[in-house]
Amino acid sequence: MAAPSVSTPIKSHHGLFSSKTAGGRMPLTPSPRTRTVSVATNLSTNSSPFTPPRPAQSIHHREPSTQFSRSVSRSVSKFAYQHSPKSNIAKGKQSPRHLDLGISEWTLTGTGPITQTPSRERGRKESAVRSRAGKTTVRIPYNAADRFIPNRMASEGLVNVGSAKQDENSRPKTRNGEGSTVLANAASAFDIGGRGADGDLTAGLENLGLDDDNTTTSYQRPNPDSVAYESSLASACGVSMNTRILAFKPPPPESSKPIDLRSQYNRPLKPANAQSAQFRRRIQTAPERVLDAPGLVDDYYLNLLDWSSGNQVAIGLERNVYVWSAESGTVSSLLETSPETYVSSVKWSGDGAYVGVGLGSGEVQIWDVEEGTKLRSMFGHDARVGVMGWSKHTLSTGARSGLVFNHDVRVAQHKVAELVSHTSEVCGLEWRSDGAQLATGGNDNLVSIWDARSLSAPKFKKTNHRAAVKALSWCPWQLNLLSTGGGSYDKHIHFWNTTTGARVNSIDTGSQVTSLKFSNHYRELVSSSGFPDNSLSIWSYPTLVRNVEIPAHETRVLHSCLSPDGQMLATAAADESLKFWKVFERKAGTSASASREGGVGSKTSQMAKQMTIR
Amino acid sequence: MGEKKEDKSKVHKLALRGSSKTVAEFFEYSINTILFQRGVYPAEDFSAVKKYGLNMLVSNDDQVKAYIKKIMSQLNRWMVNGKISKLVVVITSKDTGEHVERWQFDVEIFNKPNKSRSTKMAVDKENAAPDEGDGAAPPPPGKTENEIQEEIQAIFRQITASVTFLPVLDGDCTFNVLVYANADSDVPIEWGDSDAKEIKNGEKVQLRSFSTSNHKVDTMVSYRLAD
Repeated sequence: MAAPSVSTPIKSHHGLFSSKTAGGRMPLTPSPRTRTVSVATNLSTNSSPFTPPRPAQSIHHREPSTQFSRSVSRSVSKFAYQHSPKSNIAKGKQSPRHLDLGISEWTLTGTGPITQTPSRERGRKESAVRSRAGKTTVRIPYNAADRFIPNRMASEGLVNVGSAKQDENSRPKTRNGEGSTVLANAASAFDIGGRGADGDLTAGLENLGLDDDNTTTSYQRPNPDSVAYESSLASACGVSMNTRILAFKPPPPESSKPIDLRSQYNRPLKPANAQSAQFRRRIQTAPERVLDAPGLVDDYYLNLLDWSSGNQVAIGLERNVYVWSAESGTVSSLLETSPETYVSSVKWSGDGAYVGVGLGSGEVQIWDVEEGTKLRSMFGHDARVGVMGWSKHTLSTGARSGLVFNHDVRVAQHKVAELVSHTSEVCGLEWRSDGAQLATGGNDNLVSIWDARSLSAPKFKKTNHRAAVKALSWCPWQLNLLSTGGGSYDKHIHFWNTTTGARVNSIDTGSQVTSLKFSNHYRELVSSSGFPDNSLSIWSYPTLVRNVEIPAHETRVLHSCLSPDGQMLATAAADESLKFWKVFERKAGTSASASREGGVGSKTSQMAKQMTIR
Repeated sequence: MGEKKEDKSKVHKLALRGSSKTVAEFFEYSINTILFQRGVYPAEDFSAVKKYGLNMLVSNDDQVKAYIKKIMSQLNRWMVNGKISKLVVVITSKDTGEHVERWQFDVEIFNKPNKSRSTKMAVDKENAAPDEGDGAAPPPPGKTENEIQEEIQAIFRQITASVTFLPVLDGDCTFNVLVYANADSDVPIEWGDSDAKEIKNGEKVQLRSFSTSNHKVDTMVSYRLAD
């Protein structure tokens, strides 16, 4: 290690071209500042990403001692009932038995036709209170303040009692309103009996109340013709006349969503998106390692970080490209540009031997890393080269002008194709692993999908994103699946079938998507975000469930890249740190094939052994 | 003789309270189980609770919880006073308003304290005079807590298993709770008279029952036959 313990000086990053390394922090050294802080914060938030905060408050929060009826009277009957002596409970007096007896006394002795309709009967009681007229002076034991509210249900029995005593021939069953059908049954039965044979009546009387325990199976409002029959039938069946059927009237709460029982019966006990802990993959939420990256340019449109198949990490810091060997932990400065320009992109070739470096001037250089020498410079772009991608010997470069060039690095006339579709800076570019398709994304919010055999025009142009598209990732287990992530005003990840051009899925991430990487051996992908979360999110595909969100950096995560064995993710952020995350860790006990169950076949069998970083 | 009677009623009253509690608790879990098993609310709204030696599923939804709590608070009061002869949970189709399923729990109270005859006029005084020889089944020999729990457990197993023969409920459903109460019960305004919400031409299946020292609870489900 170049400088094992360097105290971090006061940050003095004035501009793009200020030389940071000379006076202060060594690039890619362990960061004393970020390390302690970030580890601590990550530890403290360790448990939180898995469990969303649960609302602790109940809607109907009240002290347990509060009586139900009291609360009812407080809330519901505040106006209509509270001042009534009956309150909300009609005690005792509504007993049908009470009523039965009352009626029967009168019907046994009473004669004469029905003279009163129930409504008039009510009016009559009212008049009694007003001392206008009255056949009998009935002591009505209740203050009549609310007596005549037609919808009063709980105290209908009371009216019955009074009326039965007052007017012997009143027929409670014809009252409109929702009075007890039981009462109506009983009363009408007696009514009929009263006008009919006395024998029937007494039989009915005897039947009443003898069978308290039994209940009828159906209380239908009686048809007058069948009342007598029903009465005898009821007694034959052992129907109780002094049981009320009460329903809890408030409607039950609505179900939050439609339910198909068929799926419910085949469902695991726990809900699907919140998998139980034992089945969920554990993801480390603390960084494995934190390195300083002083002078990292805070520019969304650049691509300054790449991890080679040879397990080396290249990072562009202002005018320098550093190579950090994950095997040994050593850092070397590969190059320093001339003072008038800066590094705008770095990309390893597929074999990990060369690194392509794009410069702000539009120049593209190719460096042999082992030798530390520049192999060639390729000119052509007149604006900065913000993104590059290798496909074997072809290097594709995307520039601020919106142009994408393909360079055959082997030949002198290197420019073999000019891909014209973007009208603004190209900031995302990714070759499919088999080299058959190329995806580019630009500041014009456009995603272009190219067929490598015909580069005159893109195969598909996708305009769904509403912000610049930097994040692009091809799915390793389904070659024609491409994911693209949009910038601050878009915040979406879209998934495309690049054979048909169809959009197959979308995620609203809630923040700027700065990079996307599919896992090689889990059916997951990781996205890094800028404002407001500055986090890493791991998504299951195709369920699109966010497995974990890791608060990763203090400022927006600009770049990310996967280690060659696919287990580790390196992220570089505007807080000038480079962090390593073991987000796709394979369990040590399981063989490579077992851990890839449901995952992806290994393309890089030579990397199957555990990779270590120092 | 009279003195002996009084003693008995005292003991009886204490036991009745505990027994009522057991039954009311059983009702609460029954309602939750039915709501879960029959998909009245989404399965995610329920969480498992250990009870009766089983994993009982109880609603987590604040509104549903409050709703059941309201029902239960009144039910408890009625149970203790021995006012209830049936508890019914009716599942109704939201689309057609038709009652599609009806779970009925019959409560039989041994030595019902306010058992009365039609000749009795003073309703209010009945509570003071426990009646003997009224034809109710004699209390079963004393059961241990464990035995009662096993009986209850068996019922819940049956309720859970009944989804295998009950018809699939199509569309959204809602539920109502009915109570067959004595006519002299105190009734809060949230409870109102109702019809029995019977299922027309329904098929009935009697499930198991359990009994405590003072109560016997029978369970029955009726459902609409598939067309």
